Amino acid sequence: MQAIEAFLRGRIWVKQFLPFPEELVQAAIDKGDATVISGISAGGECARCLENSSDYVIPFHCATCGNTCRYCRTCIQMGRISSCTQLVLWRAPHILTKRPHAFSWHGKLTPQQENASTAISESIRKQEHHLLYAVCGAGKTEILFSPIHEALQKGLRICVAAPRTDVILELSPRFQQAFPDTVIHTLYGNSPEQTGYGELVLATTYQLYRFEEAFDLLFVDEADAFPYSLDPSLERTVKKAVKPSAPIIYISATPSKTLQKQIAVHSTIFRRYHGAPLPVPIYRSLWNYERHIRKGKLPKVLTEWIQDKLQKKQPFLLFFPSIELINQAAPLLHKIDPSIQTVHSEDPGRKGKVMQLRAGTLSGLATSTILERGITIPHLQVAVVGADHRVFDRAALIQIAGRVGRSAKDPTGEIVFFHNGITRQMDAARADILFYNREGRA
Amino acid sequence: MNCCLCNQKLQFIPSWRGIFLYEAPDVACAPCKNAFSKLTLPGCKYCGKEGEGKCQDCFYWEEHGYRELIESGKSLYRYNEAMKDWFHQYKFLKDVLLAQVFAKELREALANERAMIVPIPLNEEKLRERSFSQVDQLLLSANIPYKHLLEKCGDTLGTKTRQERMATQQLFRLNGEAVPKQLLLVDDLYTTGTTMRQAAKTLKEAGAESIRILSLIRA
Repeated sequence: MQAIEAFLRGRIWVKQFLPFPEELVQAAIDKGDATVISGISAGGECARCLENSSDYVIPFHCATCGNTCRYCRTCIQMGRISSCTQLVLWRAPHILTKRPHAFSWHGKLTPQQENASTAISESIRKQEHHLLYAVCGAGKTEILFSPIHEALQKGLRICVAAPRTDVILELSPRFQQAFPDTVIHTLYGNSPEQTGYGELVLATTYQLYRFEEAFDLLFVDEADAFPYSLDPSLERTVKKAVKPSAPIIYISATPSKTLQKQIAVHSTIFRRYHGAPLPVPIYRSLWNYERHIRKGKLPKVLTEWIQDKLQKKQPFLLFFPSIELINQAAPLLHKIDPSIQTVHSEDPGRKGKVMQLRAGTLSGLATSTILERGITIPHLQVAVVGADHRVFDRAALIQIAGRVGRSAKDPTGEIVFFHNGITRQMDAARADILFYNREGRA
Repeated sequence: MNCCLCNQKLQFIPSWRGIFLYEAPDVACAPCKNAFSKLTLPGCKYCGKEGEGKCQDCFYWEEHGYRELIESGKSLYRYNEAMKDWFHQYKFLKDVLLAQVFAKELREALANERAMIVPIPLNEEKLRERSFSQVDQLLLSANIPYKHLLEKCGDTLGTKTRQERMATQQLFRLNGEAVPKQLLLVDDLYTTGTTMRQAAKTLKEAGAESIRILSLIRA
């Protein structure tokens, strides 16, 4: 396969920014292998992210082409697309090429994992959508290895999509290890350029904007917010990125009711891979915590909790509802122990700090919901400060609780909801966790 | 409709003014708008930068051959974090709609202006590349009539260091339109004042008598 085909097959790319000389691109177009389309269709739909609301596709007088153009605001972060932007698609038919793929994962699945893995392979064969409903720490990634290997052997092109860059970065080395001779592309915002034809693509959901009818099989990890009610364009994009008959496998620890209804075939795992039950949240009241922190006083109950963890030398996470509150609490936490740091979504040093916590150079981290998923730290203890706040919904609280007791060596740990009044979301999260533990024991 | 900056749902807040007069709907929510910081104190006479008397940049210009080219001027906003984000999305991500965020403020500042309003131009090539002129678009969104008198020649200042900027010789030439006696120059961002001083110099040499300036942002 030529480099240009390897790059363009299944993608939708701004012509101007293709990493190939213009003559080469033109030759492919003239030959009919590639085709050029307008960035925004005549009907006002963005060809890349399929946005079609007039709130987001905005007309303006364009000095580039001299006409009234429209541009799309939904996917503008990936470089603006307007009516006069030319997008290139590869159109030449694809001949399926089978080749053997090495598989070097030699771990052992629990019986529950094994069942789910077989069920997923079965769904892929039947080309039907599937929902893997598995609790935090069930060992979801390992479950996917065998079905992915089977699909690779058949010559299928596969994508694993997840909403956050952190998750993709964590998945990437594990897949590289399991499939050492497969061409794996890892795509996220500002990721380094990947060469060749990606047989297995690991991408953030946003990167799917740049694909069209590319995949024969798609895994949507952390699909709990799916269908993305807040961002319908992401749902459209997932559908756009796959070939029409391709099966989509949704994976979630906290799937929405809608998703559970929409997908007929489920497999469930309510037991962690090490077999121990999920730690159940404890409620502790922390009246007026916001006012206390604003006035420069850390509530005594919380201080004692932190000191207890420091004394036992256990790493801990403190979840806060807002960045503002983290910043107000930061100096107070420093006073207790200078090696307590803070992180939030806009913190570029996030990855490093999590690694320091794991290594033990930091004693604890105060964080926003950004660390609610995707991280595994042995012996971790977790407190949610203000679990009654509306950012902590059922799914978020279950995910946060799911950070605790993940390793087989120490499957226990404390998860405390410090609150200013118990909310339904807190109760729902706790009830779900108790339900998983009951079901998982059977 | 959602806020064009944070994409949260816009709350409609009724006002007496809105009942009697037509007001264009807001495109940004109140918390986002409050994150911008207005320059209110009477700062530097030429650029509006806060502080006593002339700011350092303007003092330099007045001492170095650009004395009294500019009669007076002001800027509307500080270049804070929120403004940096807005500016990046507007100018570099080319989100044209964001011009409307400051439509009301620019309209208030310029509605009763008698002098001819002259935007700082982009050079042709840059304009085609960016697809819109960020200063023109701000004025268009505010519904303020303007007229171009200048053309940009040579490179842009964007990539130059402070010293290189201040030593630049000629940035503008006339485009052939008649130059009136009273002018108000408008630009998006005032950094060192080189652009404004150069534009004023060219116009003064062409017969303008009184030149005032307005920048949306003072860096």
